[in-house]
Amino acid sequence: MLRIRDASVTFPASDGQDVHALDHVSLDIAPASIVVAVGASGCGKSTLLNAIAGFLPLSEGTITLDGQEIVAPGGDRGVVFQKDTLLPWANVLDNVALGLKYRGVSRGERHERSRRLLELVGLADFAEKPPYELSGGMRQRVGIARALATDPKILLMDEPFGALDSLTRETMQQLLASVWAKTGKQILFITHSIEEALTLGTTIVVMSPRPGRIVARFDADFVRDFAESGDIGPIQSHPRFIELRQEIRSLIHQPEGARRGTLQ
Amino acid sequence: MTLAANSRTSFPPATAQRRPSPPPRRSASASTFGISLVTLAGLIALWFLAARFGWASPLFLPSPADVLTQFNAVAADGYANGTLLDHTLASLGRIAAALGVGIFVGIPLGLLMGLNRWVKGIFSVPIDLYWGLPPLAYLPLLIIWLGIGETSKIVLLSLSTFAPICFAAQAGVRSVAVERINAALSLGASRLQLFTSIILPSALPEILTGLKIAIGAGLSTLVAAELIAAQSGLGYMIMSAANFLATDVVFVGLIVIAVLAFAFTSGMRWLEHRLIPWKGKL
Repeated sequence: MLRIRDASVTFPASDGQDVHALDHVSLDIAPASIVVAVGASGCGKSTLLNAIAGFLPLSEGTITLDGQEIVAPGGDRGVVFQKDTLLPWANVLDNVALGLKYRGVSRGERHERSRRLLELVGLADFAEKPPYELSGGMRQRVGIARALATDPKILLMDEPFGALDSLTRETMQQLLASVWAKTGKQILFITHSIEEALTLGTTIVVMSPRPGRIVARFDADFVRDFAESGDIGPIQSHPRFIELRQEIRSLIHQPEGARRGTLQ
Repeated sequence: MTLAANSRTSFPPATAQRRPSPPPRRSASASTFGISLVTLAGLIALWFLAARFGWASPLFLPSPADVLTQFNAVAADGYANGTLLDHTLASLGRIAAALGVGIFVGIPLGLLMGLNRWVKGIFSVPIDLYWGLPPLAYLPLLIIWLGIGETSKIVLLSLSTFAPICFAAQAGVRSVAVERINAALSLGASRLQLFTSIILPSALPEILTGLKIAIGAGLSTLVAAELIAAQSGLGYMIMSAANFLATDVVFVGLIVIAVLAFAFTSGMRWLEHRLIPWKGKL
């Protein structure tokens, strides 16, 4: 269980006015759930993820994972970045095995485990390739396999499919849903796409900028159907999906003054 | 690990594989190679013609045949206290010593300067101060301090190779993408692992670029220093020959230096190809 309590992150700005990137956010991420944070740019969703990953210190509040307070980056939280961060000098297999290598897992065992994960993400035939010979979507799959390799408690995904074309993106969403169904990982997923949020989230939190805070949360379970059927069409034309999409859209596009009052 | 057990039914393998793109610029370099070869042949032919028809006095432009004869003579009998091989080895020994100092002091110090504010703060001042000076300007001072022997020359050369390597290593550390560091930390890397598995390889392209600059700087400083104060080496041989207007020996020296420079460049290219084939790819 990941617990976020009153988390605030404040950056000093050049004009002396502090920027409240994250303003007293509280959120729980239960095991086996996918929490998707959606919002316009600057709403603090990436700041939230960076704070959980331990890349950014909190100005106030606490984040705990299974009771342990988060103070620094660590192997118990796997991160998938928007821009892939694979190492060009290592082949795909060694990239996936990197976290296991850091843990001192023997070469044979880490390669065996990494091969199984490459199979999971459908890249078994690409183990020996250098990452720069892979397409963007395939590189993100390697990134997911790498993050899963150390068996982290939670997977943090920062707009991982944001830079992909819409067809690849759909394939990747399908992949993530199936990986989630198989592994039961708890996932925090950041996106600015409302459709992506509804397709993948078991919980969707809508965030608003200046200051970054959560303005609404919804529960959904389209992802279960999606993981089973692999077909995005019927899900996205489901009346409930359309209704939620409209509701979230109007929340995100609300003028700032009107939004203040709606906080949960 | 629960993943492993469940992963038997896996996601369908990727089929839309991108065709491995052909090595970039291969065709471009292949097409210029022929042109360069013809240009080189043309220049040599021009030299032959100029000597054959006496366009310039042999005192200024000796014929290729004379240079070749002289090359053999210098190689066999020697010139200015040593054979061609002696002079070449003397020069190479100096530059090798200087590059050794540059690499074994410059890289670790540069890496430390990139990693640590204190190290950078302390060492950047003296390095910036001397690096701005032309090496030959402080050679006389080094000779006063260290004598006319090998020490002063090797120190001079080391100073000229050290700075570019040190700066490059420092820039290499600074150029590591913060996302790459964050990714490694979130995979559980310790500080040492972060350094050896991420920072060092990421800095390698910059370090090799610095090494190339250092070789260039070292070579020009070397010959200049030998022209001024030496009892051996290619620069000394050239200077001795010039004093007796032995232009053909000067040519021999120049050709050897050109070949050395070319060999260094090719060696560095080979090293880059071997060590960092991924440069600029991701």
